[in-house]
Parts: sequence; structure tokens; C-alpha cells
Amino acid sequence: MVEVKLQNIVKTFGETVALKGIDLDIKHGELFTLLGPSGCGKSTTLRIIAGLEYPDSGKIYFGDEEVTYLPSHQKGAVLVFQNYALWPHMTVFDNVAYGLKLKGMPKEEVRKKVEWALELIKLKGFENRYPTQLSGGQQQRVAIARALVVEPKVLLLDEPLSNLDAKLRLEMRSEIRRIQRELGITVIYVTHDQEEAMAISDRIAVMNVGTVEQVGTPKEIYETPRTEFVASFMGKTNVVPAKVVERNGDRVTVEFESFRMEGLHYTDNSDDVVLVIRPERIRLNQVENGVSLTGTVDLVEYYGFFVEVIGLFGETRLIARTISDRGLEGLKPTKPVTFYIEKDDIIVLPKQQL
Amino acid sequence: MAVNKWVERFFGTPMPDAVVISSFLFPLIYLIAFLIIPVLVMLLTAFLYHGHISLFWFKSIFGSPYYFNPLHPEGSLVTTIQQGNQTVYYLSGWDFGVVINSILVSLTVMLLTTILGVTFAFVMARYDFPGKNIMRILLFVPLLVTPFVNVVVVKKMFLPNGLINWIFYQHLHLFPHPIWIDGLVGVIIAQSITYYPIVYLNAYASFINIDPSLEEQAENLGSRGFHLFRTVTFPLALPGIAAGATLVGIFSLEDLAAPIVFQGTAIAKKLMSFQIYSSFVSGFAIGNPQMAALSLIMLTIALIMFLTIRWYVGMKQYAMLSKGGRWKPRVAKPKGWQAAIIYLVVVPLLLITIFPQIGVVLLAFSRRWYGTWPEGFTLANMKALMTQPDIVRVIENSLIYSTVAIAIILLLSLTASYAAGRFKKAKLAPVLDSLATIPIAVPGIVIAMSYFFFFSTVPPFKGTILDPTNLLAFFPGAALILAYSIRRLPFAARSISAGIQQVHVSLEEAAVNLGAGRWKALTSILIPMILLNLLGGAMLSFVYCMSETSVGITLGSINSTWYPITAKMRELIMGAVGSASLAAALGVFLMLVQILAIVIANVITKQRYSFIGLT
Repeated sequence: MVEVKLQNIVKTFGETVALKGIDLDIKHGELFTLLGPSGCGKSTTLRIIAGLEYPDSGKIYFGDEEVTYLPSHQKGAVLVFQNYALWPHMTVFDNVAYGLKLKGMPKEEVRKKVEWALELIKLKGFENRYPTQLSGGQQQRVAIARALVVEPKVLLLDEPLSNLDAKLRLEMRSEIRRIQRELGITVIYVTHDQEEAMAISDRIAVMNVGTVEQVGTPKEIYETPRTEFVASFMGKTNVVPAKVVERNGDRVTVEFESFRMEGLHYTDNSDDVVLVIRPERIRLNQVENGVSLTGTVDLVEYYGFFVEVIGLFGETRLIARTISDRGLEGLKPTKPVTFYIEKDDIIVLPKQQL
Repeated sequence: MAVNKWVERFFGTPMPDAVVISSFLFPLIYLIAFLIIPVLVMLLTAFLYHGHISLFWFKSIFGSPYYFNPLHPEGSLVTTIQQGNQTVYYLSGWDFGVVINSILVSLTVMLLTTILGVTFAFVMARYDFPGKNIMRILLFVPLLVTPFVNVVVVKKMFLPNGLINWIFYQHLHLFPHPIWIDGLVGVIIAQSITYYPIVYLNAYASFINIDPSLEEQAENLGSRGFHLFRTVTFPLALPGIAAGATLVGIFSLEDLAAPIVFQGTAIAKKLMSFQIYSSFVSGFAIGNPQMAALSLIMLTIALIMFLTIRWYVGMKQYAMLSKGGRWKPRVAKPKGWQAAIIYLVVVPLLLITIFPQIGVVLLAFSRRWYGTWPEGFTLANMKALMTQPDIVRVIENSLIYSTVAIAIILLLSLTASYAAGRFKKAKLAPVLDSLATIPIAVPGIVIAMSYFFFFSTVPPFKGTILDPTNLLAFFPGAALILAYSIRRLPFAARSISAGIQQVHVSLEEAAVNLGAGRWKALTSILIPMILLNLLGGAMLSFVYCMSETSVGITLGSINSTWYPITAKMRELIMGAVGSASLAAALGVFLMLVQILAIVIANVITKQRYSFIGLT
């Protein structure tokens, strides 16, 4: 178990700046997720922590020890590759035992440790199989066992679920969570799937084009995004350009179309802002302490247990999400509709600079 | 320790790593020492006249009608001659001077091999007909390399009393008079029959790799028959076909077997390869700077062909856009007229092109061959392979040279492919990559010539066993091993780097990440995973080393004790009556080695390796 600290990590590949100064503080025994779209630098960050790449500048600490330029095989940060990277010419046993044998561990001890690891991932009895004789989920487990068995300081998981089918993905997700809790190990997890990140993580760092946009618990990230990017990356959301007309402490009054409303204030001094409103926080019945917008129904989309109502307010479209229920039959395109929003559900953020 | 930007720029790894750096430096230094510098020494020789930089030797070539005579060719393509009481059409070709002859022969051979190769490939790739499997096996025969003796058989086939006239004049009465193919036309025919399998293999692979949906879409839109072939199929296959044809062009340029066999007719000697070769064997012209200049002209032509095709194929590298879908090869039953063409034209043509190999076997088991068919069955020649001391000796020599060369080739191609394939960002990676493939474009006779100038003049080697002018100490084996290792490197390197590309880099990274050093990751992960490619590359290069001709009959034939097989074969076919049969027996031995290698490659590695003919 170890604390991982990244200080101002910069990495360029030729002309491209992949990481523009990453700072991260990952706690003991935490499951920490790097989340972002492809090309945001999350995998590069992971590979730098693993020692498979070296940063141009910046420092990495495991606990108090600086490990920035330690070669990968001395680092103790073991990576589980996205494609598992199981060696097809070795059996499950030999794959898992590889790292232990390199340490010069006696045979008997190697056998015990491998047995322990295979038990942990519930693949006892598969020792003599070859990777090609395993299913995708089993291969994934072997890859995890191979990493865990060497007792890494940090376990790094690079998009571990991306090659699995939907059902297996849920299963492996809780499996990873279980193993992490059982061993109390520090895990750094990379994914582009926000739902997966929220379900599994203690904390999340949302990354975009080589920078960390926000770090926080899944709840913080989802409910109080600090940038337009984070807001729109974390699930479906309404992002509406607006103008600030009045400031009042942490509250601010804004205007869009012909509507004027008050929201939670996270802007800098700019008057060009966006309003971020989660679709499930827009209601179709009266709320206290909120605003109401009246417009027309543009479209109703039925998703089973919930329904999305897209309302047209002037030129602006807003999506409201509500549980499927009786009483929604009246909502037909071109019919009038009123959306109700509580003040605290309107988040005012600086407009994203492109 | 911190990141070393200098190391990263050149070697692609930020940490100075002994395994990586030596993987770059070993092949790089070897190729510079035994390919680049020798060629540069020859280049310097060609540009020096009485100690000054001069174009004198080039002027002496282009100013002489013997070498360069574009406007007033001598001779004629066809003449009728009286032989006894019958008229014979005699084809020997025009003489435009050595340089232009070589280029024209090379271009004609490219054209003929393309026609033959594409025809066979298209029939095999697209039609299903009774006897196709037999044809598939027969198409394998012309791939077997039998230096010199196959040309001897081709020459016999096209004599007035040869097989061709026996069929087409005597029996089918298709020719009004017998034909006799000799001189440069003979060289062209012999080379076309020898080299067309290279185009065939490339064209076949190209036709097979075309996504069927591309042709189906064209048909769906109304294109059929030849229009479909001309607008979709052929353009898609063209890069592969052109690459094969270019390789053939280079091989034709450097070929010595055909001109040596046909040298009884003066015009067949008027080719660049033969001129350089004869300066070697005649002795008096050895070390003549004019020959260095001629070698340089030949090298330049070959390099231009090579670089053009690399550029063209690179440009036309259509990434196949197809995603998913059914991939059912487009194989059809031929219609009536198509079947007629297959059985009446294509199959007989194939039988003619495999006859040289059959003829070599017949020759090896016969006492003499004057007329249409060989006569007098004997096992003496085959027995001589095991009993006649000078024959046993050359077999041993070739086996030893080739084995040592293979060890070097494997080491070179493994390090070069690993360095260039795994550290692509390194500045040295593309340099190494080019250096490892360029020997394909360097004619063997040019290497022989360069080595002659290099080892006989440059200090560290001058006077050693590598110096061919140091007659008492010169050991041809050493020069041959060096030449083999350079010349045959590209074939093993290609097989091995294909293997490395198939192993995802994460497999090594996982090992390094789990505590292995680079050396350990290389030996425990990468090498075991590409073992089959190593074996395949070794087989391929071994076969080519055994049958290497150009260097073997020049540097390799200075001292008969150290002859490789091909040097002995050349001596035998030029020797006394009947000795050609002994050369044929050596040819049969080489064929057996090749069949064995192919069987090993196919059975043990379960992969299909295409052997391409090389001399």
C-alpha cells in the first residue's frame, strides 16, 4: 500500500503535448479512476506511473520515495493491460508465476503464491491451460492475478473491461472492487466510460486534452461539475449558453432567450457563461424555490422506465427526464409544456474556451 | 538517472539500454562495413583516373559503341539460315551495346514474366476446374532453383532438334520451319521461364487479397468480364504485380547463368553482368576501373528500379476499408471458351515452363543429350554426389558456408528487426530498415566487384585471407560468407520482422513491468513467440545461400579447393562433354535441399513460405 503523488507531469510525443502538467494525489488503498475521452492522456499517465514511459518533466512519488525515472521493472507499479498481454506460449501457471520466478523465489513458494492468486480470482484448477483456451473474462482474471501475485505497491488497470461483453463487464466490475477491498491495495483505474467510473471509484480525475479538469468523488463530479467539459462528459446534460446580468455572492442571475433565473455560481469574471442542468432535475410539476419555463413540446422519447421530453423554449432545446407514469399522454409535439427547475440545480459555469 | 534526449532521439529509448543500443549498432555497423563501404570504395575507383576525380571511365563506356550504341543496332531479330537441307528461323536479337542490351533484356523479361505470372495467377485464383490441384502442384516446380543447368535445358529445348520444334514443328506443324532461339533472345526466354514464378506468387497473393465485395459491387453496378478485370481487379492487384515484376527486372539485370550458358554466341556476352564477370575470370582485366564504372551503372539502374517500386507501392498501398462481412473467395467454374483457353493454352504453357526442372532431372540420370531427348540411363552422376571427392568437397563447402552465413543472418535480422520494429521513433530505425532491405537491389556481381576492390586495397583487410589478390592466403569462404550474409539478409529479415509485428508490444511491456530486464523479456517472451518466423527465415536464407551464383562463381572460384557448389556447376557446364550431367546431378541435389526446406517450413511451422527463385 502506498500513496501516489504526481507533480506537474509534462509529456510530449514529437510535436504533440500529451500531458500539460498533471498533478494528482492518490491516497492509500484508494480506487482512483482516470476518466476521459480517447486521446486525453489518461493511458499515457498510467504508462508513466508504470515506468513504461518517462515524463519530460515533473516528479512521481510513491510514499516519500521519488520514482520518476526508476525503470519499470524496479518500480513496483504493475499494469494490467487493456488487451491483457497474456503470453500465449505459457500456461496460466507460468504466466502468473513469471514475476515471482524473476524475483528468484523458491519453487515451492512460487507454487503457493500462484495458488493463492488463482484462488483469489476464482480460477483454481486452470493452471495448465493456455490463454487461448480461456474465455475473455477468464483471461482478464489471469492478467489481474499475474499482476497481484507480485504484491505490487500500486495496481494499474488500463480499460480493463473494454474487451468484455456487457454482462461480463458488470460482473468483473464488482469482482475488481471486491479484490481491491479484500487486499486493501491502491488501484489506479483508467476508463472512458463515465458510468463505469462512477460505479467503481472512490475518487475520479476527469481528464481532457492533457489536463486534469476536476478531481472528486463520483457524486461531486456528477452533481457539482466545475467545468463545462466535466458537466457534459458525465452523462447526458443540458448545456445552455447564457449571459450574467447580476452577481450576488455565490449566487448569480443569468439570462437566456427571454428567461431570467438564479443559479449556483462557479464563474470567473466573464459574463459569457453556460447553464448546466441535469435532465432528471427538470421536473414537469411545480417545485418550491425554483423557476418555471413555458414552451412547447418538440419531441417525446420513450426509454422504458423513463421518458425524455424535449421542450423548445425560443430557440433553445431542453431535455427533461422523468419516470414513465400515467398522466404523460398529454405531452405531444407542438403542445405547450412547462419545465420546473430548483435554483440549486442550475449550475453556472464559465463558457469552455475552444 | 534521467531521460537522455540524445539517446532517445537516436535509439528510441530514453534510458541508455545495452540490449537496445547493441541491437541497433550491430546490424548497422555490419551493413556499413560489408555493404556500404565496399560499394563506396568501388565508387571511388570508378571516379578516379590517374589519381584525379574524373568521369574518364564513364566516358570510355558511353563513348564506345561496344557498350552504348542506341542508334545503329547490329544484327537482326530473326534470320533464316540453312542447316543441312532445311531452313531454320534463327532468333538471336539486336545488339545495342552492352548497357542498352541489359536494360532491354531486363524490360522484356519483366513484360514476359508479367504476362505469364498474371495469367497463371488469375486462372489459379479465380477458376475452379478439374485438374486444378495438379496444376497447383506443378506450379511449385518452377520455383526450384537449379543454377546454370536449367538454362542448359532451356537452350536444348529451343534448338532446331529440341523439344519445342519436336512438338510444334514436327508433330503439330504449327511452325513452317523449325525455330532456333539463341543469343539475347535465348537469355530472355531462359530468364523469363526462370523468374516468372516471382510475378506469379505476387500476383496470386494480390488477387486472393482483394476483398470480394469490391468486385461484387462493380458487378452489381453492371461491370462484367474484361471490363471488370480492367477497371477493378487489375488496378487493385497492380502494386503487388509491379513489385514482383520489378524484382524480376533486377534479377534479370544481375543474372549470370543465362549469358554464361549462351555465351557460345557472341551477342549473349554483351550484357553488363557478363562483362563484369568475364573481367573477373579472364584475370587480365581484373581490377580494371572501367569495370567498377560499369558495376556502378548497373547498381544505379537496379537502385532506380527498386526505389521507384518502393515509392509506387507505398503510394498505392490501399488500406482495405472493408469491415466485417462475408469473405467468400470469388472462384467460378470456367465457361466453355474459358475452359478451352485453360486446357489448350495455359496448361501446355505451364508444362513448357516446368520442363527445365524435369530436364535437369533427366540430364542427371542420362549419359548424353544431343537430340530431343536425353539418352543412356545412368546412376553414375547421382552416385558421384557421394563418392567423387571434388563433388563431395563442394557440397561440404557450400553446406559450411551457408550454415555459418545463416547464423550471421539470423543474428543480423533479429537485432535489426527488433530495433527497427520496436523503437520506431528512433532516428536510426528507418536507416536500419532501409539498409536491411537494400541488398535486394544490389546485384551480386556488384557485391563481388566491390569486395574485390575493398578487400584488396583497404588497410585492415589488405593482405589478409579476405584479400583476393593475396593468392597464397586468400580464403574465398570468408568472402562468400560475408557476401551471403549481406545478399540473403532481406529475406530472413522480412520473415522475422513480420513475426515481430504480430507480437503486440504489450506482451514485452508486461514482462518488463513485472520485473524483467529487456534481455530477459527478449529471450523469454519475444524469441519464443517468433521461433517459427526465425525457423522460416533460416530455411529460406539457407536455400538461397546454397544456390547463390554471382559471388560464388567470381570470388568463390579463385581457388578450386574452396569452390561452392555453384562454382563447380559453372565449371562443369563449360567443361568436357557429359560433365553437364554431373552439374545436373548437383542441380538435383539443390532441388532436394529446397524441397526438404519447404517441407520443414510447411509441416513444422504450419506456415506457407513462398520460395522465390534467385540465383
